[in-house]
Amino acid sequence: MRQYKHLFGVVAFAALVGLIPVITDNGFYLKVLFLIGVNYLAAAGLNVLVGYAGQKSLGHAGLFAVGAYTAALFTAKLGWNPWLAFAAAGAMAGLFGVVIALPALRVRGPALAMVTIGFGVVVEKVVSEWQDVFAGQQGIYGVLPLTFAGQPLDARQWVWLVLALGVAAHLMLRFLLRGKYGRAFMAVNTAEVAAESVGVSVYKYKVLAFVISAVTCGFAGALITQQNQYINSDFITFNLSVFFLLIVLFGGRSVYGPLLGAVVLTLLDAFLARWPGLQHFTYGALLLFALYAMPNGLSGAFAALFRRIRWYERRAVGPERAPIGAWQSQASGEALAGGEVLLRTQGLYKAYGGVVPTNNLDIEIQSGHVHSLIGPNGAGKTTLLNILSGIVPPSKGSIEFRGKSIVGQPVYRICNLGLGRTFQNLKLFADMSVIDNVKVGLHQHIRTGFWAYLLGLPAAARDEARATEQALQILQFLGLQEHARALAGSLPYGLQRRVELARALATRPTLLLLDEPAAGLNPQETAQLVEVIRSIRDLGITILLIEHHMDLVMAISDHVIVLDYGEKIAEGAPLAVQGNPRVIAAYLGTDDEEEDAAPAALGESHV
Amino acid sequence: MAVSILQAMFSGLALGSIYALVALGFNITHNTTKTFNFGQGEFLVAGAFIAVSVLLLLAGHDFKGSLQQAEVTLARYGLSLIATVVIMGLLGVVVYYAAIRPFIGQGGLAWVMSTIGFGIIIQNIALAIWGPSPMVMPSPLGSEVLRIGGAGVLPQEILVLCVSIALMLCLDVVMRKTRLGKAVRAVAQSSSAATLMGINVTAIVVLAFVVSASLAGIAGLLIAPITTASVFMGLTLALKAFSSAIVGGLSNPRGCMLGGFLLGLIEAMVGLWHAELREISIFLLIIFVLVLKPEGLLGQRVVEKV
Repeated sequence: MRQYKHLFGVVAFAALVGLIPVITDNGFYLKVLFLIGVNYLAAAGLNVLVGYAGQKSLGHAGLFAVGAYTAALFTAKLGWNPWLAFAAAGAMAGLFGVVIALPALRVRGPALAMVTIGFGVVVEKVVSEWQDVFAGQQGIYGVLPLTFAGQPLDARQWVWLVLALGVAAHLMLRFLLRGKYGRAFMAVNTAEVAAESVGVSVYKYKVLAFVISAVTCGFAGALITQQNQYINSDFITFNLSVFFLLIVLFGGRSVYGPLLGAVVLTLLDAFLARWPGLQHFTYGALLLFALYAMPNGLSGAFAALFRRIRWYERRAVGPERAPIGAWQSQASGEALAGGEVLLRTQGLYKAYGGVVPTNNLDIEIQSGHVHSLIGPNGAGKTTLLNILSGIVPPSKGSIEFRGKSIVGQPVYRICNLGLGRTFQNLKLFADMSVIDNVKVGLHQHIRTGFWAYLLGLPAAARDEARATEQALQILQFLGLQEHARALAGSLPYGLQRRVELARALATRPTLLLLDEPAAGLNPQETAQLVEVIRSIRDLGITILLIEHHMDLVMAISDHVIVLDYGEKIAEGAPLAVQGNPRVIAAYLGTDDEEEDAAPAALGESHV
Repeated sequence: MAVSILQAMFSGLALGSIYALVALGFNITHNTTKTFNFGQGEFLVAGAFIAVSVLLLLAGHDFKGSLQQAEVTLARYGLSLIATVVIMGLLGVVVYYAAIRPFIGQGGLAWVMSTIGFGIIIQNIALAIWGPSPMVMPSPLGSEVLRIGGAGVLPQEILVLCVSIALMLCLDVVMRKTRLGKAVRAVAQSSSAATLMGINVTAIVVLAFVVSASLAGIAGLLIAPITTASVFMGLTLALKAFSSAIVGGLSNPRGCMLGGFLLGLIEAMVGLWHAELREISIFLLIIFVLVLKPEGLLGQRVVEKV
């Protein structure tokens, strides 16, 4: 229903804007409208990169240039059909989008911003200095304009063309960003390690975001070139990159942000064009002060005024509650018969300089069991979890999970093999709702691909509905259903821990690693946690947990592994380990007098 | 051939020392605040133009105009250096309070945008004051080419090299041997621990921005006699300086110096062969370094805690 409402809104908006060229044939107004459309197109793609995936690029003038010069050279020099050249411009820019994405996989934050500036400057130098091909400041004349029925487009038709392209871009990006892809971009944006650990390939989504932004930027460049029938190197400046980014930042991170930004800034640009000095000065000032006044851009400021509730948030959880049995049977569907060796490490070794947090560890995890990993602070427990989940590569040794070696595999692939985890210091996607956090966990189980989402095919909608249902079931399983719509970051600490658990469960793990699930919980919450862990085990999911609450460990473990200084000093049934002198020594020191009193103390207190 | 290589080496080293100075400016604020001024190139431009204006005023002219060779003496050059350092130092304080401090600790790299915005403002103010045409600044040592081993070397190139090496040595000694240097390094390690030890962290951070801006200003003053001062030279220079920092290791001052000289030399050598490939070769080098050793040649790999 809401889908149609939006569609109706878009059609009405497009019809209104489409009427303007009918009413006026003022060349200046039409040109400004055309420019708004072009800037919107560039910004809409860039918004995916900057707003959603969180990668700041200051080199998109370079991608604009790729599109512009592809269209120019292919029509003026090679005599291609203008429409074919236009399509080629988008494709070529997309290709360069991959090039500019490569450094992004190695560096983050400010260094990435600087590298993208570098890309823009290199393109600028190439087109201005490589005279033979790009004709520098002199420029390329005779670029073929796009045609309709064999005639070059007139000023009105150009406006209608960018309007159509803009509407298409808006609809497609909206389809894409409302579903699995938008969630994955946001996840990569807020917590890369967490995104990987629930099966989202950070690598893939960063490249994808760069390519999307590159394609729309390339189309923008081709449109400008083909409309002017001319391009020269003066178009390609750092200021253009700044302008594109400014549209996105000023507009804000919403599918409507780029439109607001493009309208306001293009009009401002047209207005200030009479005073070129003032023009750039204004951009500088806007960049500096818009950030003070509206950190979330225009659309953020609007959204704060009209706080909208997204569709699933209004959905009542009560009567529509899906039976959780379906999900449970799915979750346990992959479970193995109890008692098999699910994971085995041999000679696992990791050293940071002189510190050896993992020293020749051989451990075995039996399927269907709850294993606990205990040991004093600094014993290397979290490092072991990080090695098992692939976040930290071991220096030596082997890990076999369900019969396959997982050493050297990327984190997301290990997750896809059925190894889920939570983090000691919560790594939630704090700006996303609880249910969206869980749906990111379902990511790898949503099979519908990119094009189906981009084009809004029914398959994508079906998968989204199914994901929502499953996510609600998982939330219900953990007693979180009434918080489904809340922002994950706004929940109290104990609930945030449980949301992380829900997210990990959504990946349908066969082995679940929990890093101090009870840390920071009050005694009542801890007691609830014991029940939760038991019911997860009853689903057939094997558990390996790190914990300092000894009563919790003793209550639920089938098997306890004790680490000290990276070495396994004991393992076995909880009671046996509790009485082991080496364990007591590790926790309490080797003072002979205290040794007798120690086991009792271990049993009840939090160590 | 050998002569032209030697000649390229000299100009490469001179250029490289400029990159190194600006890169050091990035390093010092990055170490203390994890931020730096993206408008550093515009600061360099400002430094160059302020110096030209001071020289003009000292020679009794208007602040705009052209300078004669005889009007630029070493003493006046030194005076203009002091004036530049003072003004740029103040600008460093301004950029910290206007564009860095409000955004520190905020996600989304707001400080990157705000410092770029600040740089654009500086550039347009410079444009309004001095206009778009480049200004010539004669070297205080004259323009007579010296012959070293057959290679022609500008005296200014030697001056640039000497002044910047002296500055770098000074900074290195200050950072390693003095109480102040220790305080700066303590803040770089952990500002919260430094506060607890009674170090005035705000003062250290402001000082870092003052030093950083001054270094950019000095770099502008030094390079102006070689390339003439242009309002538009900032971006490329800052970019190459940052590339130097990445190549050498942004966290290590000595790495930044090494990276600067390395880039200057590579640029000069590639320029000897194909002038239009200079920028591309540097960009390729960066990608190469990022792939093989993302922390830079002398940088330390940061282990991320999960």
